[in-house]
Amino acid sequence: MSSPVFRGLAVAALAAAIPALPLAAQELRIGFASEPSSADPHFHNVGPNNQMRRNLFESLVGTDEAQQLLPLLATSWEPISDTAWQFNLRQDVTFSDGSPFDAHDVVYTVCRIPGVPDSPSLFTTYTGGIVDMEVPDPHTLIVHSAEPYPLMPTEFSTFGIISARANGVDGAAIEFSPDGCGDLNYPGTQAFNDGSAAIGTGPFLMESFRRGEGITLVRNPDYWGEPAAWERVTMLPLTSAGPRVAALIAGDVDLIENPPLQDLERLRSDDSLRVVQGISNRVIYIHLDHEQVPSPMITGTDGVNPLQDIRVREALSIAVNRDAIVERIMGGVAVSAGELLPPGMFGAHEEGDLPPQAFDAERAQALLAEAGYPNGFGITLGTPNDRYINDAQVSQAVAQMWSRIGVTTEIDASTASTFFSRRNAQEFSAYLAGWGAGTGEMSSPLRALLATRNPDTGMGGTNAGRYANPEMDAILMEALRTVDDAAREQLLRDASRMAMEDFAIIPLHYEVSPWAMVATVDYTPRADQYTLPYDVRPAQ
Amino acid sequence: MSVTDQPVATAIAVDPGKRWRIARTVAGVAVLGALALLFSGFGVASFAVRVVLLVGLVVLAAGLLQGRMHKFFSSPSAYVATACLLLLVILAIFATEISPQNPYDLRQLDIMDGRQPPGSTNFSGTMTYHLGTDEQGRDIWSGILYGLRVSLSVSIVATLIAMAIGVVVGIYAAWAGGRIEAVLMRIVDFQLSFPSILVALMLMAAFGRGLDKIVIALVIVQWAYYARTVRGTALSETRKEYIDAARGLGLPDWRIVFGHLLPNCIPPLIVISTVQVANTIVLESSLSFLGVGVPITQPSLGLLIANGYDYMLSGQYWMSMYPGVALLAIVASINMVGDRLRDTLNPRLTR
Repeated sequence: MSSPVFRGLAVAALAAAIPALPLAAQELRIGFASEPSSADPHFHNVGPNNQMRRNLFESLVGTDEAQQLLPLLATSWEPISDTAWQFNLRQDVTFSDGSPFDAHDVVYTVCRIPGVPDSPSLFTTYTGGIVDMEVPDPHTLIVHSAEPYPLMPTEFSTFGIISARANGVDGAAIEFSPDGCGDLNYPGTQAFNDGSAAIGTGPFLMESFRRGEGITLVRNPDYWGEPAAWERVTMLPLTSAGPRVAALIAGDVDLIENPPLQDLERLRSDDSLRVVQGISNRVIYIHLDHEQVPSPMITGTDGVNPLQDIRVREALSIAVNRDAIVERIMGGVAVSAGELLPPGMFGAHEEGDLPPQAFDAERAQALLAEAGYPNGFGITLGTPNDRYINDAQVSQAVAQMWSRIGVTTEIDASTASTFFSRRNAQEFSAYLAGWGAGTGEMSSPLRALLATRNPDTGMGGTNAGRYANPEMDAILMEALRTVDDAAREQLLRDASRMAMEDFAIIPLHYEVSPWAMVATVDYTPRADQYTLPYDVRPAQ
Repeated sequence: MSVTDQPVATAIAVDPGKRWRIARTVAGVAVLGALALLFSGFGVASFAVRVVLLVGLVVLAAGLLQGRMHKFFSSPSAYVATACLLLLVILAIFATEISPQNPYDLRQLDIMDGRQPPGSTNFSGTMTYHLGTDEQGRDIWSGILYGLRVSLSVSIVATLIAMAIGVVVGIYAAWAGGRIEAVLMRIVDFQLSFPSILVALMLMAAFGRGLDKIVIALVIVQWAYYARTVRGTALSETRKEYIDAARGLGLPDWRIVFGHLLPNCIPPLIVISTVQVANTIVLESSLSFLGVGVPITQPSLGLLIANGYDYMLSGQYWMSMYPGVALLAIVASINMVGDRLRDTLNPRLTR
């Protein structure tokens, strides 16, 4: 009677007798649109990986839904001189193997970041500016930079901290050097994928990671903060939109990211489901060729590059009916853009201060005539067809609108990898693309898309239109040196306005990211478009 | 008077077969010429050229069936399939005149009219979208007509070129024999061992989008079928007495091949080429559906279906369904006509 088997059966029977609700509520299944390439937090600086990383490895600084900074492993931070920031770290935090967290782990992490083998894109973008790190006591970290570095706390929100002790390294003995700290027994990427090195301070522990099949997480019972609401989280890669929606409707998953726009209406009308949406930090824009004469895909101008004329750029911008695109192509799930970052984010103008260019086809035609192209010209618009929401359709709509004012537009659509390599080779006179401000503030798009290109400093890294405006560069550089928040924000706004009034780029809209879920759970939309299981709550 | 007229009248009445042969040749040349004109860019939209094309096609088909018309139409399904095919071909050839909108002219599209259900009128009230619109505001009915034209012309041109290449390779292999035959046929075997959709996908990924590129890709994946068929037929024909007789007369090889061998290899070619046109349409549609075929601003049937596919689950069925029905109709009617042709032209089935 009291054999273990019998007891096991009795427990099972009891468990079965208890209503399934609490059990079900403990497990969360999420259908993801894209899957991380690795569980290594420093392997690949790309959205799906950074999203996955937040479950297991925390950063010093956290970000909220609107990408404003908040304390995480650091409880506070302040500049102590023009070129140094002090971070005060949280006490009593342990890694999942039991080793305590302190400032040496941060140094260890920053030491590992530049040397991850075979990394497709390193996190040195965020740590490259660090010239020295000091640890006056285990829970205080002082970070030095060569130049004034107002974005330092933002940079520390981008990478997760791994444990030195768990890898058999005595943190106190590490000598930090920006050129490398020597061989510190860094775990390999494979060790993260098989779970042996997946030791972090995050709210979840990794149970399994199988590419193509899914990731399972279990609650970290020793988490320093509020424990996660879910005992177990299953993350399934459902990369095709149709099957993802079908899985939600069939009850195979509890929450999906990026339900296709055309299904939102139907999902909303279903009482057992919930749809939430929030504006993202990603702007969809058209960049124009400011440099090449003649420009590769322009016809009918006798070798002149018409895009160097501000009147032509303005005409192309006001010829686009942004509201029509938002309503018709994006199904209302987007917001017309007047600059490169939506209102409410750091460095963006307040709502209405720099509104989207109003649609005016007649004035566009007049401007073209004034610029010497009364009969327009021919142009080809390059676009990816699988990267952004409805990207090729948006491009076609723009082509319609440009063709109407006499600029005969053809579309050159290709898959993202092909598109981006051709874009970087400056094969397009005009191309549609998107930019998500990873740091959540205006310097990100300005630095990448509009600053004069300089491969050494990384400025203008994605400025394939080669816009160059020394005046704007100067304001932007000053902003990047200004530690005072209010002054920096004003400088960023000035730089943005200057570029927009020069029609340097044609912002179209900000993507709005939707999530769909069963009505028993709730999620607050995030501007960074991440789906974080920790923030998914059982509905009230 | 009647005495002098007599010989002339009999001369004309004597050989109806010969007149059909002449008509067939003239029609064939006219069709090829019209196709070449339509594709070369001269007189692209010229109405007269397209009338010639249609008349030529009809005469060519009638000439082909001359004397066997009764047999061809002995099944009721032949009437339906032929009528359906003829209708679709007319729709495709005269798409410009019939369609209310030019779906390839971006200036005529209005995204404010996007995703309208069938029967709705456009924003300015000037036309009715009988089959609805896709998300760009493209009239589905016009899109189908133009798409039919793209699908049909791409497939026919690709089939003709592939057939020409295949015939040359096949006959040469059969005639030359020995090592040349072995090498050529192993190339054919090698080519046919790959699924054609896979080869075409790789080619299109390398070439990029465009009508000319899709034709090239389709030719590359199709020629081997013809080469194999022609070689088989030619092999059995070369053993026949009339070839020996021609050899015995001391005719040069090229005359035997083109004057005697080739004409006798044609009936099976016609049958497989009709079926291949249908296959080519399906292949072209698949490529366009997968996003590597025609340019997105000039949709063929496959791309129209792909455009609407995202909306299928959302209840906006018309964007995919009507082009799908059109694709089904054209492929089914070509296949049925091809079947009837096979039954009519295959001498073995008459025994």
